[in-house]
Amino acid sequence: MSYKIPMGPYHPALEEPYKLDLICEGETVCDSQLRIGFNFRGIEHLAETRNYFQVIALMERVCGICSNIHTLTLCQAMEGLTGLTPPPRAQYIRVIMAELERLHSHVLWAGIAAKLMGFKTMFMTCFEIREKVMDVLCAISGNRVNYAMNRIGGVNRDISDPQAILKMVEALELEMAHTVIPIFTTSKTAISRCANVGVLTTEKAISCGVVGPTARASGLGQDIRRAAPYAAYAEMEFDVPVQPAGDVTARLLVRALEIMESCKILRQALAKLPPGEINTGDDKFPFTTGTATSRVEAPRGEVIYSVSWKEGSRTPSRVHVRTPTFANMPAIHWMVMGARLADTPLIQASIDPCYSCTDR
Amino acid sequence: MSPLESISEKLGITEPWVEKGGVHWLAMGTANVRELAKTMNGLRARFITITAYQLPKEEGFRLEYHWDLDGQLLGFSFQLAGKSIESIFDLCEAVDWIEREIHEGFDIDFIGREYEPLLLRQGETPGVNLREAVAASNAVAASKEKI
Repeated sequence: MSYKIPMGPYHPALEEPYKLDLICEGETVCDSQLRIGFNFRGIEHLAETRNYFQVIALMERVCGICSNIHTLTLCQAMEGLTGLTPPPRAQYIRVIMAELERLHSHVLWAGIAAKLMGFKTMFMTCFEIREKVMDVLCAISGNRVNYAMNRIGGVNRDISDPQAILKMVEALELEMAHTVIPIFTTSKTAISRCANVGVLTTEKAISCGVVGPTARASGLGQDIRRAAPYAAYAEMEFDVPVQPAGDVTARLLVRALEIMESCKILRQALAKLPPGEINTGDDKFPFTTGTATSRVEAPRGEVIYSVSWKEGSRTPSRVHVRTPTFANMPAIHWMVMGARLADTPLIQASIDPCYSCTDR
Repeated sequence: MSPLESISEKLGITEPWVEKGGVHWLAMGTANVRELAKTMNGLRARFITITAYQLPKEEGFRLEYHWDLDGQLLGFSFQLAGKSIESIFDLCEAVDWIEREIHEGFDIDFIGREYEPLLLRQGETPGVNLREAVAASNAVAASKEKI
């Protein structure tokens, strides 16, 4: 006899509003239904009432974790409509901010994954590391969450002491290589909770259109930083970690390896940070009529913005954002099929879902 | 033949691709969205999203479909005279949520699919143009303030 277990929208295993109805037979999940929209904010419609300064601050609030990525993608689209090109130093600072944000997001995720595995010590270790990244983000921008770094034609703040950040990156890399990665890959707790759990096959990953680490953990080597480089990524050397297994272990490994790659990118960007201006200095922007599309590789995967403007207008006529979780979340339905009920909180967490992004 | 040329040929489109702002656009003319989806499936392109635009007055809507083909961002624009277009959900699973979101936000009907339970507005009426609904409720609120 099958029975339904509702998980969410308020549930100890889900700290944000989202609902997963699990149809179980015994301890095995045989079907599921996802529900979102509990905090739908209508930000896209609201954006049409904001001018070109205000809309940046508004879209920064689509997500609390990858706020910088949203302003970067939006500003790149708006630069396409104004014909402005940020100076080289600004492009490098954009890369540095994006990679610091990826570090903070991945380490945060590792901590939450550890907590859901019942591995509280690891949770504390990851959050301690994350604090160090947050300190650097705060030192650069003055903020821990919404950094307000991007503007049309560049960035708002300079990085005055790249060497200080480099020291933090080296310390973080060492800690990840000596503590976090070995524990996640060799600990019996981690292996028993993650291996062969929540499998998303390569074929299913393609048909669901998943992105980011979720796709790369199912054998798809897609990464916008490599496939369609933006900012200064064309000048960076890095690998795109891919794991074929499609289980929670694969998602964990991909993110762990990406932390190391982010450190590699940060070292290059900080070492090669070119001198010069950090923005074009414009404060009035002549938008041309049309639509511009921009996409970047956020910590959770590809973010795409389509921005439409009419010449002479101060407000956009349309801002559409497709966030990575919006693409990844439907795949949870396939990941939990046949899984043990007790594994479902970890499975849904393994895509690093952002409900704030989804209910934008 | 390049992958882009093969797409044009399969869809029977003679117009050239236009590259603008990093997006490769193909004018769809009278081409069918389901044929487009089948062609993209054949190339193992990754569906990204659909962007809906409400055009002024009685001009209807424009839908822009995006796929990624080996890192190339492809765009296909469809002008809707009315408020409906064929769904491609049965051909492309990834389109499910965005078709539902556009139906719930713009009242566009994707023919051949169900919407309930609603994705974003559970328990509400399916197919409401939120932009017009919000504008109407703002107008009512403003008139009450005057009274």
